[in-house]
Amino acid sequence: MRHTIGCGSLSRCLTPLVAGSAALLLVTACSGGSDDAANSEGPIKVGSILDETGPLNIYGEAMADATELAIKDINENGGVLGRQLDLVSYDAQSDNAKYTQYASQAAQKDQVAVLMGGVTSAAREAVRPIADRTETLYFYNEQYEGGVCDRNTFNTGVVPSQQLAALVPYAIENFGENVYVIAADYNYGQISAEWVKQYAEEAGGSVVGTEFIPLESSDFGAVINNLQSTKPDVVVSLLVGGNHIAFYRQFASAGLSDAMKIVSPTFGLGNEQVVLSNEAEGITVAFPYLQEISADENETFLEQWYAEYGDDYPYVTDSAVAVWNGWHLWAKAANSADSIEREQVIETLESGTTFEGPGGTVTMDGPSHHVTQNITIAEANGAKGFEVLSTEEAVPPSFEQDVCDLISEPETNEQFTP
Amino acid sequence: MQSDELANLAISLLTTVSILVVISIGLAVVFGMMGVINLAHGEFLMLGAFFTLSGQRAGLNIWLAMLVAALGVGVVGLAVERLLVQFLYGRLAATMLATWGLSLILVQTVVLIYGPTTQGIPTPLGSMKIGGYSVSEYNLVLIAAAISLLGLVYWVFTRTRYGTMARAVTQLPNMAASLGINAKGVNMLTFGFGAMLAGAGGALLAPVAGVVPGMGQAYVGRAFMTVIVGGPGVLTGTASSAGLLGSVDSIVSNLTTSFLGTAALLVVAIVLLRVLPTGISGRTGRQL
Amino acid sequence: MSALREVAARYRPSYLARLPQEVTSFLVVALIGTVVAFVIPEFRAQEWSLWVIYGLLALSFTFVWGHAGIFSFGQAAFFGIGAYAYGVAGINLSNATGESLSALVVATLFAGIAAGLLGYFIFYGNVGDVYVAIITLAVTLVLLTFMSSTASPKYHIGDALLGGYNGMIAIPPIMVGSFTALDSRQLLVFCIVLAAAVAFGLHILLRRPFGRVLAGVRENELRTQLLGYDVRRYKLLAFVLAGSIAGLAGGLYAAWGMFINPSVFSLQQAALVAIWVLVGGRNSILGAFAGVAIVQGLSSSLGEGGGSWTPIVLGLVLIAVVLFLPSGTVPTIRSLVRRRLNRSPALPVSQEVTIARRRELKDAELEGVLAGGRDASEAQSLRANRLTKQFGGVRALNGVDVNFLAGTIHCLIGPNGAGKSTCFNLLIGRYAPTAGEVLLGDRNITKLRPDARARLGLGIKMQVPSYYGDLSVFENLWLASFARLRSAGAAEGQATRTLGWLGLSAKAESLASALSHGEHQWLEIGMVVAGSPSVMLLDEPTAGMTREETQRTVDMIRAVSRFATVIVVEHDMEFVRALGAPVTMFHQGLVFAKGSIEDLRRDERVLDTYLGRSVSADAAN
Repeated sequence: MRHTIGCGSLSRCLTPLVAGSAALLLVTACSGGSDDAANSEGPIKVGSILDETGPLNIYGEAMADATELAIKDINENGGVLGRQLDLVSYDAQSDNAKYTQYASQAAQKDQVAVLMGGVTSAAREAVRPIADRTETLYFYNEQYEGGVCDRNTFNTGVVPSQQLAALVPYAIENFGENVYVIAADYNYGQISAEWVKQYAEEAGGSVVGTEFIPLESSDFGAVINNLQSTKPDVVVSLLVGGNHIAFYRQFASAGLSDAMKIVSPTFGLGNEQVVLSNEAEGITVAFPYLQEISADENETFLEQWYAEYGDDYPYVTDSAVAVWNGWHLWAKAANSADSIEREQVIETLESGTTFEGPGGTVTMDGPSHHVTQNITIAEANGAKGFEVLSTEEAVPPSFEQDVCDLISEPETNEQFTP
Repeated sequence: MQSDELANLAISLLTTVSILVVISIGLAVVFGMMGVINLAHGEFLMLGAFFTLSGQRAGLNIWLAMLVAALGVGVVGLAVERLLVQFLYGRLAATMLATWGLSLILVQTVVLIYGPTTQGIPTPLGSMKIGGYSVSEYNLVLIAAAISLLGLVYWVFTRTRYGTMARAVTQLPNMAASLGINAKGVNMLTFGFGAMLAGAGGALLAPVAGVVPGMGQAYVGRAFMTVIVGGPGVLTGTASSAGLLGSVDSIVSNLTTSFLGTAALLVVAIVLLRVLPTGISGRTGRQL
Repeated sequence: MSALREVAARYRPSYLARLPQEVTSFLVVALIGTVVAFVIPEFRAQEWSLWVIYGLLALSFTFVWGHAGIFSFGQAAFFGIGAYAYGVAGINLSNATGESLSALVVATLFAGIAAGLLGYFIFYGNVGDVYVAIITLAVTLVLLTFMSSTASPKYHIGDALLGGYNGMIAIPPIMVGSFTALDSRQLLVFCIVLAAAVAFGLHILLRRPFGRVLAGVRENELRTQLLGYDVRRYKLLAFVLAGSIAGLAGGLYAAWGMFINPSVFSLQQAALVAIWVLVGGRNSILGAFAGVAIVQGLSSSLGEGGGSWTPIVLGLVLIAVVLFLPSGTVPTIRSLVRRRLNRSPALPVSQEVTIARRRELKDAELEGVLAGGRDASEAQSLRANRLTKQFGGVRALNGVDVNFLAGTIHCLIGPNGAGKSTCFNLLIGRYAPTAGEVLLGDRNITKLRPDARARLGLGIKMQVPSYYGDLSVFENLWLASFARLRSAGAAEGQATRTLGWLGLSAKAESLASALSHGEHQWLEIGMVVAGSPSVMLLDEPTAGMTREETQRTVDMIRAVSRFATVIVVEHDMEFVRALGAPVTMFHQGLVFAKGSIEDLRRDERVLDTYLGRSVSADAAN
């Protein structure tokens, strides 16, 4: 086997280089960016970056489907400012660097009027600096641990100060005081665990144990043992991802479903109840949206969805509806402001745009850039779905409202934690 | 410590060890014996789980579905060997690259066929009570399966004609060929056998893990670690390594947190390799 | 192509003519890069900056694996360490200094120090290749798990929050002073200039003695050690250099995205580094960047379509590369081009230097060879007392005393299994004796490692052929000479003289593996001689030789023995007789008989052992 280093000499280095550069220039000349950015007649370009492949696509695919349907819906109802929306979508393949790259591309090449995307918080944090720097409006439409405060970013996903604030007291009132927390070992899990503690204590309960499980772990033997020796009333599961489904299965097969109740703000986002069928029975969740919500808006929405994607679609998740809400809020604000310029849309959104979503009324809370929405508590029925128990209307993002006021302090740019 | 707690912990420990055995035994044959670094091993596990799923949906009883799934993955293994691996023997880096590419293809193919989220397999059997603890009966099945798989490997390699030929071919291919053994055919069968074992591992895991296309990634690291620490002996290496690493993981996890359990497993593996660079069974020089 | 070279040489301005070629090439690349950066659309500049950064990371792996032979799965770890270090330094310092270049320096240094610590543990702990891969991978995964759990605000260094899995945010971009941040295009130029500087720097380094010895370490580590090089130090240095380069790339990465999270420590990222390099070409510097461009370019353009076929296409491409481009893309293209142009195969770069500067070769006197080393009168004695070696239950050597006087030839004979090679290995230092001691001259060398003994003047030719097959004959001898002379120019002279003495001058530029068997043996003898040893140990130097070759070898050894003590292990009795030297016979781990070959031939007991008649070891006296 020959062993060669580099190209050996100047001429040998130069020739391929010159040839290569010529090729490069040819390629780039043909792939230039669009110069019709300021075109005020044709379609409006809008961008979306989601994970359609890779391990995160258990969340990303439904969100991508919702994106396309939302754009179609908006266009069928007259578009924005009378112009159709032209969607440019990117698959970030569960790779953060691609979020940075595609965000730049969407902003600088496609010159989108608004960029929506990101599944994990890490993805969001990769996009934000690019969106800020290129002054591209950005929406993050997914449940997360809360606290982001950035003038250029709007969040339609549910946050702990809405979800856990409803779920944890419900659990303590109905099932018992002793709470055991099992959380995915990363920011969302760690921060949400803090929230659970806070809300539990406020409701008169106490956290008797907390465990953090790495995202790639699927062996819950030790956890099951600890639950059996601690015997809590309520198990709050903040588990995330495909590997963590194993917990529910191992819990059920150890026969613990009768002894303790599981409540979770994440169960269902990845269609866990579809995967688990009867092992899921009794798990209690709280989301702004569940497929089973009976409301006119939801019926119309689902009709549209099934018409587009087929009746055998596994389950329309809350993440999908958050995306739907995000697009419609932006469209409404733009129409209201009579402009797609970032400043004006931001101002309109901050004045409190509302939208009738499939899960109920969604209102943008101006100062915090998060949405006030309904929270529905439901129980998994063991037949791949949920049974709605109760709905609390117009739950505000209380923590975010406390710490973040972008109207009076527009320069803020950080993520607050409890 | 009370006796029921002890019994519970013992079963928990044996379960962890058995899981390591079933996910690693296929790799021990392919990597330990043949020297092929198969980065798609996790995907063979995953295929075993998915085939079990399909088998059950088609109406088969779950145990039969698992058996059919394992055989199915074995067939996939034969195809992979014929189409890809046979050209790459002895080229470690190339095998790594090619099997990594294969794993990407397998994962996405499964996504395209089954969708990113799937139906699952409920854990068969129920739970039984040991004192104040309840334990899933399926754990006992796992333990029995691990022992059976080890026994199967032993029987195949020592009691069948194919097995003797396989051991000859992996030790001294040229010598075996000059004795008239069809090395190509034997290699194909050995790889297929390893794949079948991996498929069996995945099938056994399906009821206790989340069956998603990306599930292979979570296991491939631990499988490699178990096989490398075990050394060249397919049976003695895998069994002793799984036993040691699994016990460490289980005990530490139960005493502290599962993160520390995994960390302890890694530390023990590193220390062991430092002291016994050819693995646990490397000292004895046994092939099985 | 040579016509182009002449043209380039003729028209190169005089001031450029004095610069090394690499510098000129570097300037050309920087120029082209600048032009390209300002021609392409801005978002492409952003994308290509990432590829250049990844290319730098891939380059670190090409260097540490392709050139130093160390399969380190940890380049992603140093990449991540550099990125986080840049983040921490940048966030804390840039507000005060208005620039972030210092943070980049911190990133590189920090990663280099980390590599130094890890490398010391690995290489000075004397562990094997697979182990290196495992432990570097394990370190990467441990970092992943650890950094992912630092979400709480209490995890911070100065003003920089570690951020856990969400990552560290608000990392400053590259600022060159007075808070002037580079925009996308300027960043691309910056990255290209840095990457080119590193690439050409490595290219230069690989042609210097350090790089040439590194090639030896990679090709045949044992041989290199026995020539007298401390291979641990070379491996550690290479590892630290590679780690620093990866750290630099990491710092640039953090500045590029203004964000970093633990996914850089994942198994996927670690494997991706290897994939880039394998696609591009295992030891090709250009290949590192080509591999990145191909793999990343493909996955980016597929992702733009928003398609779900990306992984499948990528997987198929990888498999195709493996099956059809086994040595990687760039080397395959190069050899295709070369075949088209009908050129002879390229030599390792290290030797182009020497060919250009080599003087006329002529048959030289041996004195010239050995005088190139040291004073010829320094032949030393080699003694061993009560040397014992036990392997498990087998006593290979049972209390052997030998005394080889300075400046003499000595033969060791004995049937197979008698303990000759074990004795040899103990004298060299490959094994430590169970009991007994070894003395070189007056010095007790029992505890010294093989390379230390070689540096003290012990030269070895082993029984199993051990030379650098993939390097040229000249380079083999150069490596042997440099070990003692430590000057590239002097080593060239020594190698030239040795070549002449061996009579292999015509084959100087051939691959060593292309020599005939007899020539292999002479090459190895030559490698020993070139090191100007005071004691030479030759294990079966005439194995497989023809009669004529054997006779020539006798002459060689007689000539050498005027300047060094020579100990030869042999089976060929004609050779032993022709040499006419005192003989020591081993049997069952003991010295069985001593004397001249004639004495031993008449000794009944000796005949008995060789003919297999039963003789017990205590018949020896």
